[in-house]
Amino acid sequence: MMFLDLANFYLIPGIVMGSIYAIGAIGITLVFSIMRHTNLAHGDMATFGAFSALALFSAIGISPYLVLPLATVIVGFLSIVIDWIFYEHLRNKPKILTTISSLGVGLMLRSVVQIIWGVNTTAYVTGINKPYKILGLKVKSTEIITLGVSAALVIILILFLNRNRWGKAMRAMSNSPDLALISGIDNRKVVALTWFVVGVLCCCAGFFLGINTELKSMMGWNILLPTIAAAILGGIGRIEGALVGGLIIGLIEEMSLMVIPAEYKAASSFVVLLLVLLLRPTGFFRSKII
Amino acid sequence: MTAILTIKDIRGGYTEADILNGISMEVSRGEIVAIVGPNGAGKSTVMKAVFGLLKIRGGSIDFLGTDITGWSPNHIVQAGICYVPQVENIFTEMTVQENLEMGAFLRRGDLSAAYDRIYGLFPDLVSKRQVVSGSLSGGQRQMLAMGRALMLDPKVLLLDEPTAGLSPKYMEQIFQISRNIRDTGVAILLVEQHAKQALAFSDRGYILVAGTNRHHGTGQDLLTDHSVAEMFLGG
Repeated sequence: MMFLDLANFYLIPGIVMGSIYAIGAIGITLVFSIMRHTNLAHGDMATFGAFSALALFSAIGISPYLVLPLATVIVGFLSIVIDWIFYEHLRNKPKILTTISSLGVGLMLRSVVQIIWGVNTTAYVTGINKPYKILGLKVKSTEIITLGVSAALVIILILFLNRNRWGKAMRAMSNSPDLALISGIDNRKVVALTWFVVGVLCCCAGFFLGINTELKSMMGWNILLPTIAAAILGGIGRIEGALVGGLIIGLIEEMSLMVIPAEYKAASSFVVLLLVLLLRPTGFFRSKII
Repeated sequence: MTAILTIKDIRGGYTEADILNGISMEVSRGEIVAIVGPNGAGKSTVMKAVFGLLKIRGGSIDFLGTDITGWSPNHIVQAGICYVPQVENIFTEMTVQENLEMGAFLRRGDLSAAYDRIYGLFPDLVSKRQVVSGSLSGGQRQMLAMGRALMLDPKVLLLDEPTAGLSPKYMEQIFQISRNIRDTGVAILLVEQHAKQALAFSDRGYILVAGTNRHHGTGQDLLTDHSVAEMFLGG
């Protein structure tokens, strides 16, 4: 009975949050390994994705899951446009400029969300989502779908990076942008492709955060720190690292509730980040970049 | 022989200061041309200028009758010039096979004939196909770097110090492979620190000093020319 309580109250929510962090952290790591800057707009892009899905759902109806693919495409193209407008002209300048610029982009996106959808908390579907009981484990349908879609996304992304010509070009550019250029790989197309993939991942992270908790304009900003912590914990530049890092951060945050009040939950990922930076700054899987 | 690559009085540098102060050279089909000279003469810079990685402020670069001055590397690769830089010339996180595949990025369709050709030129790489290239030895890395650049079937191959840091055995092997590549009709322009060995194995050579042409001639002539030998080849 002890184990079931642990699983129901801490492990399952931890893994669900962890998979949301993982999807976000994979996006952070992709931006870092190809564009070489930290995307501080990541969380707010996720917020925007969550609210785009809400808008599409209110317009089309049926089920929020059905509009998700459309929302991911919207955020995917939005992130390409953001890159064209705000980041492209800074490409050959020190990367700190792009990082600061992304902070500004995040603020703008958040304001757009607040202007269009307001600052109040909302949800895709109201009412009680009764959990299923499987061998004593209580799992909600939203949680099962979150885990399933996250796993599918990670598998598709890994296959894409290892099997597809353009996926390999992304790895090539992450490995050596100059050599990619002189091999005839169009760096600008790879950058656009990367932003599209990152937009899709952001949108999914925001959507699943929204469907498992609630939608509010600060939701993405609030998960930015744990998401970056997850990417660093796993070793920046490593997809598998971001995945493991996300799950660990998610679990640690939920488990920390056993010893600290819920208000301080966010602090636990901050502590993990500090410890990683002090003890093993290259992360679990040795970082490919630093 | 008619030149396929003609560099005429090229001037330019990475920033405001010019490193190349009017350099001219020609490369013809099926010959190996070596660029030698003291440090800072602008040897590698000439290659970067050809490859569109430099601000060119004067002169022109002509390839097969087309003025390619100021083209982007993408377009130059497409036109038929491939470049092997001295450092960072392989994708260390990717396998040997993937490196070759990236070399052929611009080429669609079946690549098996191209792979066969490269593995034929570099038999050492055959057993390493699925090995992550970061774990290769220095000589194997250089072979892979050349193989990557040859995947597109270039007409001109630019090699920046292909033997830097290699043992004499590998150096000889790289030179031999370069001759084999030349004999398939590819023109090779290379920069070398090992001036004597490079001139001995090249068809022609250019000696640069301070961003200008100083001497040029066949490899043998340059080696036997006393003034050249005394000044640049250590007697």
